[in-house]
Amino acid sequence: MRKILIAILFLSSFTFVGCGPSEDEPTFDTSKNITVYTRDTTSGTRTGFMEGIGFPEASSSDSVLVQGFLIRDNTAILNAMTIDEYGIGYVSLSSVNATVKGLAFNGVAPTVANVLNDTYGLKRAFNWMLRAPGDYPSETVEGIVNAFIAFLGTTDGGDIINNAGAIALPSTTTWDSIKGQHPVCLTNNAAVTVRLGGSDSIQKVAEALTAAFKPKCGNFIAEHDHTGSGDAYKRTNDPAIKDTSVGKDIGFASRQFRGSELNVPESLRGRLAWDAIVAIVHKENPVSNATAEELKSIYNGTLKTWAEVLE
Amino acid sequence: MSSNIKRKTTDLFLQGLTYLASSISLITLLSIIVFVFGKGYKLINFQLIINDYESKGYVAELQHGSQFCNCDAQMDFEDGTYYSRRWGIAFSDSIDLLGKNVVEVEYVSPFSPFRALQDKGIGTEPILMRTDYTIIRIAFDDKPSALSRDGAQIMANELDNSDSFREIEFKTTGGGIRGSIITTLYLIVLTLIMAIPIGVGAAVFLNEYAPINRFTRVIRSLIETLTGVPSIIYGLMGLAVFVPLTVQLTSATGGNIISGAMTMSVILLPIIIRTTEESLKVVPDEYRQASLALGASRTQTTFKVVLPNAIPGILTATLLAIGRIIGESAALVFAIGASIKDNISLTGKSTSLAVHIWTMMTDEPANIELSSTIAIIIIFIVLLLNIMIKLLSARFMKRKLGM
Amino acid sequence: MEISQQTANTRKRRFFDNLMRGVFLSAAVVSASFIFVIAGIILVEGIIPFVTDNQGVGSVDLWKFITGATWLEGVTFYSNLYGVGFIIVSTLYIALLSLLVSFPIGVLTALFIAKVAPKKLAESLRTVVEILASVPSIVFGLFGSGIILKLVYDFSNLFGYQSKGGNSILSVVLVLAIMTIPTITAISEVAIRSVDKAIEHGSLALGASVTQTNFKVVLASAKSGIFASAILGIGRALGEATAVSLVAGGRRSGFSFDILDTTSTLTSIMLEGMKETVGIDYNIRFSVGLVLMVVILLTNLVLNAIKRKVGNVHVK
Repeated sequence: MRKILIAILFLSSFTFVGCGPSEDEPTFDTSKNITVYTRDTTSGTRTGFMEGIGFPEASSSDSVLVQGFLIRDNTAILNAMTIDEYGIGYVSLSSVNATVKGLAFNGVAPTVANVLNDTYGLKRAFNWMLRAPGDYPSETVEGIVNAFIAFLGTTDGGDIINNAGAIALPSTTTWDSIKGQHPVCLTNNAAVTVRLGGSDSIQKVAEALTAAFKPKCGNFIAEHDHTGSGDAYKRTNDPAIKDTSVGKDIGFASRQFRGSELNVPESLRGRLAWDAIVAIVHKENPVSNATAEELKSIYNGTLKTWAEVLE
Repeated sequence: MSSNIKRKTTDLFLQGLTYLASSISLITLLSIIVFVFGKGYKLINFQLIINDYESKGYVAELQHGSQFCNCDAQMDFEDGTYYSRRWGIAFSDSIDLLGKNVVEVEYVSPFSPFRALQDKGIGTEPILMRTDYTIIRIAFDDKPSALSRDGAQIMANELDNSDSFREIEFKTTGGGIRGSIITTLYLIVLTLIMAIPIGVGAAVFLNEYAPINRFTRVIRSLIETLTGVPSIIYGLMGLAVFVPLTVQLTSATGGNIISGAMTMSVILLPIIIRTTEESLKVVPDEYRQASLALGASRTQTTFKVVLPNAIPGILTATLLAIGRIIGESAALVFAIGASIKDNISLTGKSTSLAVHIWTMMTDEPANIELSSTIAIIIIFIVLLLNIMIKLLSARFMKRKLGM
Repeated sequence: MEISQQTANTRKRRFFDNLMRGVFLSAAVVSASFIFVIAGIILVEGIIPFVTDNQGVGSVDLWKFITGATWLEGVTFYSNLYGVGFIIVSTLYIALLSLLVSFPIGVLTALFIAKVAPKKLAESLRTVVEILASVPSIVFGLFGSGIILKLVYDFSNLFGYQSKGGNSILSVVLVLAIMTIPTITAISEVAIRSVDKAIEHGSLALGASVTQTNFKVVLASAKSGIFASAILGIGRALGEATAVSLVAGGRRSGFSFDILDTTSTLTSIMLEGMKETVGIDYNIRFSVGLVLMVVILLTNLVLNAIKRKVGNVHVK
């Protein structure tokens, strides 16, 4: 009998422990340290963010950042902001959803309208890069790739880009009016695979685009493997990598091409859309606006707690 | 006296610890079950098992000569469902199997031109609109398109205010795990075909033919060491040996079911050998001697007398193997790959259920609900297998004792 | 005529018998040889980064690799500055901690099932442990990712410590502990049950209480079996990959013993980025695998040595 009583006592003590901590603390403690999340150095989002806040050294170097920063990819930063109340991170506007809070930048709210009228300062271009003509696994693949790029410039493509959260470049042509120039789309391409890769900020947009373009172009297969903007050039044009198993047919970058990437002729690269980068925090965070100075100070460690930011 | 009290307190303390420990074990298991079921049960439906993972996209326009119908709805709609009377189609905001917001078709009137649309792609058959399809966008000639991002209400309104539309893009529901289920089944069958003959053969040798000498002991200990190797190492071996092997010999381009089966066979060999050996040991020697005395050869004795009596044990080994195959994740990430596909072929890329879960959890965004649903399926199957194993062992024991 | 016919038959039979014997023998040899295949492959592929030029990137320095504090300095595919020193340390640290958690719980639960609990409860608890033992590790990873991350985050918040979204050494330790408890419980229980009843009765007859007997006599007698379960448990903890990768946090540099810090283990670093990789990045994973095998081997040797020192009490 006694033993059973002891057992019940211990079991019940567990339910209380289990209940306690899961209650969310409603108060936001501003004396807490800021946990800084960032993308890794190959990320175009990082370049865009760091250059936009006036901290370009941090685009490719980890050592200038505040101690104890966390490297995450696009979605992981988003997820982290739903759990970590004292964190700050940055993601593409196309990824922002209702589970996090996007900060206004220099007083301007992060909306599509503000990007198009050029008042939101943290904007950057989504770009694409192709392989050299004739360097594709087959002529059909090359044909589909060229048709896809043409599709990007149509209103139909623009619709999909906007639907996915990026900001399409203005256009007036429809796919219907130019599809005659791409006879490859009239054949059954169900056995043809096109490989896309590069920036993972663009992954959502790229997948929406291929999903929409597939039925228009013979139901080809699109294989997406997005590993970072740096791989856009490497997997399409770097001789050491482009012909290995990780090679791609189209690479996307969420930043301007630079350095040796510019050796690729201009006909093989172009702009896909605009995107904005948004600094995000947990929904309970009282901060709703940040200047470039403040963001830079957070990321280089000058401002350490949320209280200092709110001053 | 005081030493007695001290002893009683120590006793009580130790007893308490023991109870505490056991309740922790119990509570942990319950939490896991509760969590997995809680997160996953919402998405359980038959569709999940038979649907494709990739949604099939369609782009369509009105069939030549058809136009809006001004049809009345033949049913009442709940809140959140928006009906376009002009076109006879209703939309609602919903969440697909992958957790994303979509605009779903709720109802299509029998008189609506949406019943049969003209395919703008390469298909020649008319496309029939069904109520589980999701709309991506509707493009108009004279105004901006209605996008799924804007929601069901706006889409229904825009449609209602137009006489015609240029094109409509929609897709079937995706997120189904049929592909991975089929892959797992192929994997099980192929692995068993490879592993059971070799495993049973080795067990037969060790138990029936092997002399008691150093050679046998070495072989036995080598097989035993296999059990201590972590599964990720097997994955590396599969990647380095079996994947290139299959790529050379077949049309495979990377990890495939055959290389996965080969890797799993190696992982399972020690288990099969050990369990089979146990069941072979149980077959009474008298049987063997009687058979030999009657003039049968060693081979005949083995195949016709010993093995049939060891079948319960071999079956147990098989079930254990199946359980392990279904649950294995790390090794298969390397040996089969992690691409989720719908058209499964032995040499094409595909993946098993456990790796499917891992892919979903490491993907953008982490899909805990769907992963939990798949986990429920896996747990059910594994539990079923365990029950069968227990029943078989019980019968096995009865035979052994009631001999 | 008949006799030679019989002899021919016997010879045919014996030939067939020997053939089948050969078949079975080869099955056994093939099974036994796989361990060499595995060891060979890991060795060969794992050595490559150290002894070749890695297609122009330069060979990896072995000492720097083993003691390095950063996974990779420089750009992927273009750099040879890999280091796993900090990962080795954190892997051992995590395995030790998870054993510290799972060992007492597992052994005490085993004691409970074998000695203390009434028949029915013992049966159901045994089933519970069996079920836990057969749950695939990915489900534990799922559980860890969904609940343990949040628990650790909330719990650490309660005490004023910040954890990075819950991904921490503590989460990995908890997930691994949950996975190893069934193993330890099952094996320890068998060891406890096989303790000679005579010893137990002797202790009781001498006036010791049940609890004293349980702890001082029974557990002591089952020492070797319990220890074996710990060895197996640590083996599982060292080798688990997918569950760990979901809660670890993917730390890329720096030695750390802070349990609320993110981390990586040898297995999780192998798994990450495995989707598609080539060249030196591909080969280096085998090197990590090699390190893992060495670590496991060394751990087993050390533990077995301790086991022998601890000694055996006579058990049935």
